[in-house]
Amino acid sequence: MAERFEIVDAPIDPAGLLAAVGDPAAGASVLFLGTTRSENSGRRVTRLEYEAFAGMALREMRQLARQASRRWPLRRVAMVHRIGVVPVGEASVGIAVSAGHRGEAFDACHWLIDRLKEIVPIWKKEHYLGGTVWIGAQQGGPGDGLQAPRKRRAARSR
Amino acid sequence: MRVRLRFFASLRERLGPGEVRTVRPGTTAGSLWDSLVRSQPAVGAVCIRIAVNERYVDPEHELADGDEVAFFPPVSGG
Repeated sequence: MAERFEIVDAPIDPAGLLAAVGDPAAGASVLFLGTTRSENSGRRVTRLEYEAFAGMALREMRQLARQASRRWPLRRVAMVHRIGVVPVGEASVGIAVSAGHRGEAFDACHWLIDRLKEIVPIWKKEHYLGGTVWIGAQQGGPGDGLQAPRKRRAARSR
Repeated sequence: MRVRLRFFASLRERLGPGEVRTVRPGTTAGSLWDSLVRSQPAVGAVCIRIAVNERYVDPEHELADGDEVAFFPPVSGG
């Protein structure tokens, strides 16, 4: 199974992801894009900022693709995650899967993004009107999570 | 023996990107974390995972000379 995995600090090109999973034996290609949403838990999000443990993140992404290809008969998998600032409306993650039929392509793509969010060592810091917060860390208990608000004004909406 | 510590995200903001530390033979990943929490109690509130040489390990994992030990707050990619 051909594969492509990347951590990038520039906008994700969806057409490039789809091209990476192109395969004459594929009857279906599924593309998932996760994009920065302007609202989260009632906060007005101005941008997200991602940090990765890049070497391990790529290793875990490859491992997930191997696991997916054991569960479903896939042709190709491509996974890319963007780090640094990701403005509202832009993609932070893209996953493309091709397979003989749509069922396994949809299922594998869904499973891959769910697992990526559970185990791949990447973190997002949400910048919202009034402060910043590391997403996920606040589940660890009191003392972590919401940090002191910043004085800086929010970035203009795009 | 010496191990390299690395911290990420909220832990990095509190502890810095990392450091080289001398530990006793037999030190486990979990006991190393416990010693960090004793010196920096504020970080103890975070639920963490530990990776040694870029692979997730259990707290009982015994460290070896030259290991890179990474401490993660809960991941939140995607």
